[in-house]
Amino acid sequence: MRGDKKTKLLAKQLFKLSLVNGEVSAAQVAGVLGYIEKIQPRQTLALLKLYHRAIAAEVAKSRALIEHAGPIGDSALKLVESAMTQKYHRAVTASAQRNDALFAGLRVRVGSDVYESTVAGQLAALAASL
Amino acid sequence: MSTVIEQIEQQIAQLSNKAVKKNTGHILTVADGVAKLDGLSDVMYNEMVQFPGGAIGIALNLEEDEVGCVILGDVSNLKEGDEVQTTGKLLSVPVGKALLGRVVDALGRPVDGKGPIDSKEFYPVEKIAPGIIVRKSVSQPLFTGIMAIDSMIPIGRGQRELIIGDRGTGKTTICIDTIINQGRINKVGLASGDKNFRPVYSIYVAIGQKQSNIVRTISALEAAGALEFTVIVAAPAADNPANQYIAPYSGASIGEWFMENGMDALIVYDDLSKHAVAYRQISLILKRPSGREAYPGDVFYLHSRLLERAARLDGKGSLTALPIVETLAGDVSAYIPTNIISITDGQIFLETDLFNQGIRPAVSVGLSVSRVGSSAQIKATKQVGGKLKGELAQFRELAAFAQFGSDLDAKTKAQLDRGSRIVELFKQPQLNPIAIELQVSVLWALQKEYFSSVEVKQVVGAAASLRDYLATRKDALLTKIRTKAALDAALDAELKTACDEWKGTFAAK
Ligand SMILES: Nc1ncnc2c1ncn2[C@@H]1O[C@H](COP(=O)(O)OP(=O)(O)OP(=O)(O)O)[C@@H](O)[C@H]1O
Ligand SMILES: [Mg+2]
Repeated sequence: MRGDKKTKLLAKQLFKLSLVNGEVSAAQVAGVLGYIEKIQPRQTLALLKLYHRAIAAEVAKSRALIEHAGPIGDSALKLVESAMTQKYHRAVTASAQRNDALFAGLRVRVGSDVYESTVAGQLAALAASL
Repeated sequence: MSTVIEQIEQQIAQLSNKAVKKNTGHILTVADGVAKLDGLSDVMYNEMVQFPGGAIGIALNLEEDEVGCVILGDVSNLKEGDEVQTTGKLLSVPVGKALLGRVVDALGRPVDGKGPIDSKEFYPVEKIAPGIIVRKSVSQPLFTGIMAIDSMIPIGRGQRELIIGDRGTGKTTICIDTIINQGRINKVGLASGDKNFRPVYSIYVAIGQKQSNIVRTISALEAAGALEFTVIVAAPAADNPANQYIAPYSGASIGEWFMENGMDALIVYDDLSKHAVAYRQISLILKRPSGREAYPGDVFYLHSRLLERAARLDGKGSLTALPIVETLAGDVSAYIPTNIISITDGQIFLETDLFNQGIRPAVSVGLSVSRVGSSAQIKATKQVGGKLKGELAQFRELAAFAQFGSDLDAKTKAQLDRGSRIVELFKQPQLNPIAIELQVSVLWALQKEYFSSVEVKQVVGAAASLRDYLATRKDALLTKIRTKAALDAALDAELKTACDEWKGTFAAK
C-alpha cells in the first residue's frame, strides 16, 4: 500500500508537527497518533506506514547504533557519541549491539551512513576488488 | 588491568573514526528492473549503487524520500528490505585497444567467451561532450565504400550522419559495409608504412536487436577481416531495458578513448528508435511524466547528449557517429526521427520503394543530405561526381513526367537514358564496399561516356568488369589515384588507356 498524493502530503504534515526544535518529540507523536485514531482519515494504514517511515528515519539520524564483536566499554560509547554529535551537528546517542559475524572491530550506523572498521568489512571489500 | 583495556578500546574507537564510510539504504520495491530505495541520503545522480548479489544499479530519480534506480544485471534474487549501498563512483567501462575484436555487454564485460579483457583504463559512461573551443571543423573524409554515398553524400571524420528508413531497407547493411571498408583501408594503409596514415577503428552498438542478427553481423565482420578493428557492444532484445539504455553511452566512451588518444573512430548506433523505446519503458516505470508518443520530456536530451559526443578535436582524433533510426511507412515527421534529424549533420534516407524495385542500396538521393561532408570529400571524387546529384534529381523528375507523355524529344530521351545508366551504376551488392580509387575510375568512365554504348541492363555487369580489370591489372594507377586524391592530365591519360583496353576486352566478350 503506497498511498496517494494527498496521503503523502498529510503524512509529511503530521511528521513536521511531531518535531520540536528539530527533534522528534514523544509527546507530539502521541498527540498525532491520537488524532489519527480519532479522525480515521482515508487510507489510514498507508498514512501510518508513511508516518512511521519518516519518524524512523528521523530518529535514526540522532542514534548511533554500534555493532561490535568482542567487548566494548562505556568510554568507547561516549567517544563515538561525541564524535558523531560533532559530525552531524545534532545530539547523537549511542547504543551498542553485539554482532559476532563482524569477527573484530566496530560498525557504527547513523541514519543511512555506515562507518565500518571490521574484519568482515575488510574481507568483503577485498572480495569485491578481486 | 582495566586501564589497559580502556586504552585498547580507545584505539578501536579511533579506528572507527578512520573507518570507511558507506551510505546505505533499503529496497522498498523492485519491479521490471527498477527499484525504489529509501535512505541513501548521499547518493549522486547517475551514481552506481551496489545491490546484494553483485547487481549494480544507477540512481536516476532522486526524490525527497526515495531514490529510483535502474538495475543492471540479475534482479531475481532481490527482495524488499535488502540493504544497498552507494559506491561513490559513476558507472564506467573499460576502454582501450584491448577491446578490439571483442564483443562486450553494456558494462564492457566480455560476452564472446574469449576470456577476460586486459584493459587498464576506465572511462565514465556519461561524459560531458567536448565544448566549442576544442572542436575543429570536419575536413578529412571517411569512406563508406558505398558509391552513392561517397560520391553524392560524403561523410567526414567527426561528422554525425543519420541513417534513416523503414524496416528492412538495408540500414544495418550500409553501416556494416562501412565498417568492413574501414577494415580494408586500415590493412592497406598499415601495410604501406605511410606515417601519416590514420586508421579508423569501429564500434558497433547493437541495441534491442535479436541475438541471431547480432551473431550474423559478427560473423560478417569476421569473414571480411574487419573484426580485429572493431568493438561490438551488444544489448540484445532479451537484455533488460536498463542495459539497452546504457549501451550506446558505453560505446561512446569506448570511442572517445580513441579520439582522446589521437586516433580516429567510427561508431554505429543500431538503432536509436529501440533505444528510445527502452528509455520510455524505464521512464514509465519510474513514473516520470510522459509527453508526445508517451516518451518522457527529456528524450531529446537523451539523444543530443549522446550524439554531441561525436566530434573532431583540435590536436587529437575524431569520433564519427552513424546513428540508425527506423521509420514507420517512411514517416520522418514522427517524434524520434525529427528529434534526431535536428541533432545530426545530415541524413541518408533509405526508401522501401527503391529497395523493392531492386535499387540497392536504396538511398534516396533527393532526400539525403550531408551538411558538412563535402568539405571532406577528396578532389578526385568532386572532379568526376560533382554534378551527379543534380543529374539524378533531374532524371527522377523527368522519369515521373515521361510516364504521362508518350513522344519525347531527343534531348529528353538522351537525359533519361543517361539517368537510368547512373541509377544502374550505383547499384551495389551487400558486404562489398568499393575502394575510393575504383569509385573514381568508374565515375570517370561514366563521365567520359564509356557506358553510353552498354545496354542499361548490362551496366551493373560492365561496371563490375571494369573494376575487376583495373584491380587485377592496373594496381599502379589505382595507387596513384589513391595517394594523389586528385586527377590531373597525366592521370586522365592513364585512365583513358586503361579504360580503352578494358572496353576492348569487354566488347570482345
Ligand atoms: N545492397 C544490397 N543488395 C542486396 N540485398 C541487400 C542490400 N542491402 C540489404 N540487403 C538485404 O536486405 C535485407 C534487409 O537489410 P538490413 O538488415 O540491412 O535492413 P535494416 O533496415 O537494417 O532492417 P531492420 O529494420 O530489420 O534492422 C537483408 O536481408 C539484406 O541482405
Ligand atoms: Mg537493422
